[in-house]
Parts: sequence; structure tokens; C-alpha cells
Amino acid sequence: MSEPQPPGSLRELIEQFIHQRFATKTEKMASDDPAYIKLQEQFVPQTWLADAARRVSQLQVVTHSLKAIHPDAKGTNLYVEPRSLEQGDLVGSHCLPDDFQGDVVGNAAALDVYKFLKLEWQERSLLELALENDDTLVGALSKEREEAQAWAQAFANIVEPKGTPSSHARGKQVYWLVNDDPTDNASYHLLAPLYATALTNPFHARLSEARFGEHAKAGRKARRDNAAFEGGYSDYLNLAVQKLGGTKPQNISQLNSERGGQNYLLASLPPNWISRDVTPPLRTESVLPRFGRRAPVRQLINDLVNWIKQNMKEDERRAQSGKAPRKTYQDRDLHDDLTAMLSDELLMFTYELHRLTPGWSKDSECRLVTAECYWLDPGRSELDSDFATARRRSDWHEDISHRVAGWLKNTLTKRMKISLDDPVHDFWAAQVELVLRNFRRQLEDLEDALRDDDESLQGELA
Amino acid sequence: MINHLLVLPRLRIQNANAISSPMTWGFPAMSAFVGVQQVLERNLPDDIKLVFNEIGVVCHHIEPQVTEGGFIKAFHLTRNPVDKSGGTAAIVEEGRSHLEVTLLIGVESEGDDLSSAERRRAIAQTLFDQVQGMRIAGGSVMPAFDTQQRNRPELISFSATESERVKQWRRLKRRLLPGFALVLRDDLLAEHTATLKAQDESATTLDAWLDLSRLNHECLVEQVEDEKDGKEKEVVQWNVRRPYRGWLVPIPVGYGAISDQYDPGEVANARDPSVPFRFVESLYSIGEWVSPHRFQKPDDLMWFVENDLGRGIYRLQNDYANTVTQD
Repeated sequence: MSEPQPPGSLRELIEQFIHQRFATKTEKMASDDPAYIKLQEQFVPQTWLADAARRVSQLQVVTHSLKAIHPDAKGTNLYVEPRSLEQGDLVGSHCLPDDFQGDVVGNAAALDVYKFLKLEWQERSLLELALENDDTLVGALSKEREEAQAWAQAFANIVEPKGTPSSHARGKQVYWLVNDDPTDNASYHLLAPLYATALTNPFHARLSEARFGEHAKAGRKARRDNAAFEGGYSDYLNLAVQKLGGTKPQNISQLNSERGGQNYLLASLPPNWISRDVTPPLRTESVLPRFGRRAPVRQLINDLVNWIKQNMKEDERRAQSGKAPRKTYQDRDLHDDLTAMLSDELLMFTYELHRLTPGWSKDSECRLVTAECYWLDPGRSELDSDFATARRRSDWHEDISHRVAGWLKNTLTKRMKISLDDPVHDFWAAQVELVLRNFRRQLEDLEDALRDDDESLQGELA
Repeated sequence: MINHLLVLPRLRIQNANAISSPMTWGFPAMSAFVGVQQVLERNLPDDIKLVFNEIGVVCHHIEPQVTEGGFIKAFHLTRNPVDKSGGTAAIVEEGRSHLEVTLLIGVESEGDDLSSAERRRAIAQTLFDQVQGMRIAGGSVMPAFDTQQRNRPELISFSATESERVKQWRRLKRRLLPGFALVLRDDLLAEHTATLKAQDESATTLDAWLDLSRLNHECLVEQVEDEKDGKEKEVVQWNVRRPYRGWLVPIPVGYGAISDQYDPGEVANARDPSVPFRFVESLYSIGEWVSPHRFQKPDDLMWFVENDLGRGIYRLQNDYANTVTQD
């Protein structure tokens, strides 16, 4: 078969499309087959166009659909120009580019009409031309001006909602407060959320790419092998998938069908601070190594080391160009956040161990230093009055704060392979000191939280 | 500034809706809790004269009903009854989750005597009992495990003295641990959008949102001089790029209009023909989970309705970012 010539006019483009559809349909038919003759009549361009202009009413091009909310829901679907929305700094359909893809709902048997409207003439789709009531299009549809106008109008109507506006018992409808007084029934609007299917499309494409794309696969492999890799890749943690339309995603909409009915959901879970099995820390003097092995803690230490190194480099650069060292540090906030998160991790760790059966530290195998017993087994106070008294009299908070800071210092210096006593490394030492000072400040918050707990416990016992 | 705070501690909610929007799952949408606040206020016993202003949620425990392990989570589905003809009824996959939360509600007196400790105790207990029979985010509230001091409801009246207020707040924060409260970080979303736009004019809020919602693994290759033989060698380092620290998550924050507002009764099959009707879509932003010991004042974790009806935006707000940026 010879390659079809690029159409020289819009009319040629239209006729080519119709002819191609006819060719596909009749591929395996004999030319004297009565069905063939019937199709031949149907695919006379003017007949097909008239029929298409009639059938187009069975379809609607939408940006927002109802069936994705519930497959049994029937009611209004909408086509909204993303540009017309003013949603400011939030994420919504206004983020879509001008060449976004619309979705189609309605009778799947009429989808060929939508394919027709997606034909491009001089980089604009026939649908766009119809929506603008473009003269070239009207001229190309039919020689009879009135008929052509009517058809163009019918095609343009594909974006119009069908029938009067309606919702459905199976659709979602929520009351939303619009005034100050929730006890007044007149203070509400009824909001009917539709599914932003045009927005879901690029969202789905990006997440699929991150999951299955060749680049992402190669990146994951490179990281496993600790090999060099151009750029990077992304992981969406705890991603969930919801199926829309079950085994018949095409019943929901055209795009849903193309997405295989898969709807990605990003996770908004809080930090998971409870690990399944917490065991008493026996046969060890300190729980801090255990703390340091936790994945988020390792990550934070990593970030801190990188932060220090970055500051190092910046200062080296300044020294080389003869400038004085900086008084303040780049990304001070970041450093604050890192140490605050580290103290958060310590708080979670503390509460995890508090869930052990009180008195666990009495085990003969327990070799924890006393301050750590006071810190991690407060419930023992209720079983053991000697312990309670000793605990109350001790400065264990201060001890723990020292121990934790000491542990952090060791961990950082070990990671950076330096000795802080070495005068050559004075600068490193100063950087680590800065981290530690800030960390101690953050720890005060945590001490506060734990100390208050003790005071009120005593209050309750009294 | 919050003067009276109702504390409804350690509510165990079973089978709460874990799908918070068409693009997010995990924790129920904050609008579900704002809804609880509104229902509670609408059903106040006649003798309790209070106005509810805002609500905060501390999550102590969450147990999503999803498949364990694996890269992608799937929801544990319920078996559903068949339809009239005996076929499988069309269903929408639902996600469920068990939660333990403490609700904090900022209230004001509208004629009630909140200076009396006894009255405050009575109100707190009544409202606590009332919430036990309610649905929260589609889930049922289960009876509390125990009635220890720290699990009793409370209506706190904050002192006019700054130092006393600080003490009261510190004591309450202690009761909120361990746990995490969700706060709003519109500021980070806007800032990150601007950052991306500076690199690429076509970048949108959606790009920034996705970038903040994932782990970005990046590879750095450095030329380093080997200490032993002095030769240059390549050192490969994989890092995670996170533009901001903190436990940031994507969240729905409300709805944006996608149609004009219809008069009451104008839309067929509306569940209430007496209120105005509007078609909307979900709007999203970035939230942060923060441990309560870090909040300087109760206002920081409170959420409230703040619409921009002129632009057709129906949304929730939280002021945490203002506090942080003022520091």
C-alpha cells in the first residue's frame, strides 16, 4: 500500500479520514458482499458527516466526570477550560497546560466521531476549530453553508453538558460552611465534587513513569550497584492504587480506560513511630547504638554530614579567594530542621521503649547505665519505691542530654574520618560543635516533654 | 488567641475513610474533622452555650487496612451484597484505617460560665460522651481503653497571665505525646513552585507538589585524589534531595468551583433543595506532621474554614506557617 499523500486542504484531510475508516472496516470483505455495498453508502463523506453530526450528541468531551465518583451515578459532567480557573497557589486543574487532553464520556460506539474531531489541521484540532466556529472548517464540511454551520455547531456542542444540571444519589454531595454560624441551615452550600479526569491524566503518566519508566529502572539499578548515573530518579513512598470501574474501566471514561482503571493515590500518612516488635535493650550499656541504626536516623546523620561538608567547601572557597570566613552559615534553617528532626526521632524512640512492660530494666541481663534506665523505664517507679526515689533525686535528664550529644559527636566524627583533637581539623570541630549546640537546644524541648510527664504522674499518684 | 480549649483525648476510630481525595490516601481529610466540629456544635444540648471556632487533630496511632509490604499498597476490600438481579453491584473501592486521635476544639462562651471548674468538667464530659456516639471520617468511635487521668476529657481555660498560659500549654502538650499533628504548608508549596519556575517557566504548582511528595534520588560523581597513589578517581555518591526538611505530605485542603453557583432547587437530584449548589473539584496543598512538643501555642495546630467565594474557593486554613516564618 502506498503512503497516503499529506492532505493539501482541510477537506482532503476529512475525506482521507473517512476513507481510511472505510478501508479498515471492509478490509476482509469481498466487493460484491451486500454488507460492503451498504458500508460504501454509509461512508460517502457527506452521509458520514451528517451521521457523525447526529451521533456526536451521544458523546461529551469533559475535564471533570461523574462516573469515576461512582459507576452507577448519572448526571452532569463538565468541560471547564483550565485557564478559566483561579485556584491560586493550590494544586488543581488550572495547572494543566494549554494542550491538555480532554476525556470522553458517553456511548463508546460513537467514539470514532471523537477521533474525527481530534484530527489536526495546521496544528489545531477540528474540535478547536469547531469551538471557534472557524470559517475554513465550515467551508470544508459542506458546500451548503447552512448545513455546514449546523454540523460545526453540533460538533462544538460535544463539550456542552447534556440536559439540565443534575447530580445523583450515588454522586458525592457535601455541605460546606460559607458563613460563620454552623448552626444556621442557611450557612451552607452544597458542593458536588466531580473527578478531575483531565488533571489525573498527566498525574498518572508521571507516576507510571517513575514506577516503570526505563530511566527510573536504570536509576534504581545504578543506585543498588552504587554506580554513576546521569541525573536521578524518584520514589513515591507508600503509593496506593485504587481501581476505578473494576474490570470494565471503559465504562467510566475514555481516559480511565487508557489508564487501565488505575488511580494512583499519594500517601499522607503520619510518621510511623511504632515498630512492630520492641524488645528490651538487654546486654548492652546504652541504647544509643540501637537508635543510630534506625533508617531515618541514619538518613538524618547522612544529611548532617553533607551539610557540614557543604559549609566546609564554601569556606575553603572563601579562604582561597582571600575572604574572611562567614559568621553565619548557609541554610541555617535546614540545619535547625535536621537537628529538630533528630530530636523528634529520639522522642519516638523513647515512647516506643515506654511501651515495654514496666520494670523490664530489673532483668538480670539488663546492663544499661542507670540514667538510661531512668529515661526508658519510668513505669518501674510504680513498682519499686527505691527506684522511684533515686530517679526523682537524680539529674538523669541532664545525663541523657550529655550522653546523646556525646553519641552524636562520635558518630559525626567517625563518619567524617577525622580526629577532633587534631589542630588541623579545628574547623571541622567548630562545625560539629555548631551542630551539637543546636541539637542540645532541641533536646531541651524533649526533656521538657518527658519531665512534665513525671511531674503530672506524681500529681496523679498523690 | 485561643482562650478555651476542649480536649477530647484518645478517641479510637475504627474503619475511618482512608481515601481522602482522588489523589491522596492515608489520613482522613481535615474537612472530615472540621465536619465533626460543626456537627458537635449543631447538636449542642440547649443548656450548653458555646461557640466552636477551630479544630486540631493529634494522631497517636494509625493502622491502615492495606496490603503489607511491596512497593504499591492495595486496600483490603469488604465483601458487598449483590444487587437486585443477583449480580455484583458496582462498587467504588474504599480504603479504611483505624486511628487513635485526640481532638482539640477552640471554643468561646456564649453565655456559659466557663470560670467555674466544675462547669467546665461537666461540659467536657457531656461533649466527650456525645462524640463517642458520632461517626468521624466515616468510622465509628470505639469505647476508650481506660479512663486514666490523661485520657479524661477537659475544657481548659487559659490564664490571662503569659507565664501561666505557657505552663498550661506545656502540661497539655505532654498529654498529646506521643503523636503527630497535621499543619498546613501552603508557604512551602508556593516557594517551591517559584523555585521550579525560575528554572523552567512552564513549571506549575502540580510539579512542585509532586516534587515535594516523593523521594528524589540523585547521583553525584566527584573526582577525588586517592590518598595512597595520588591518582584521580571517581567517587559515586547517591543522595536524597529534599528541598525542605520536615515530614511533608500531600493533602487535600478543600474544593474549587468548576461551575457557576446554582440557586436552591435548580439542580436535579440534589440532596437538599434548600441550599445553593455548585460543582467543584478537589484542591491540594502540602501539609506537615509535627510532634506536639514543638508547638509554641495551641493556635498553631488548629484548622478552620476560610473561603474565597469571590474566586470560588472553598477551603481550610491553618496558621502554623505564619508562626514559623515569624521566628
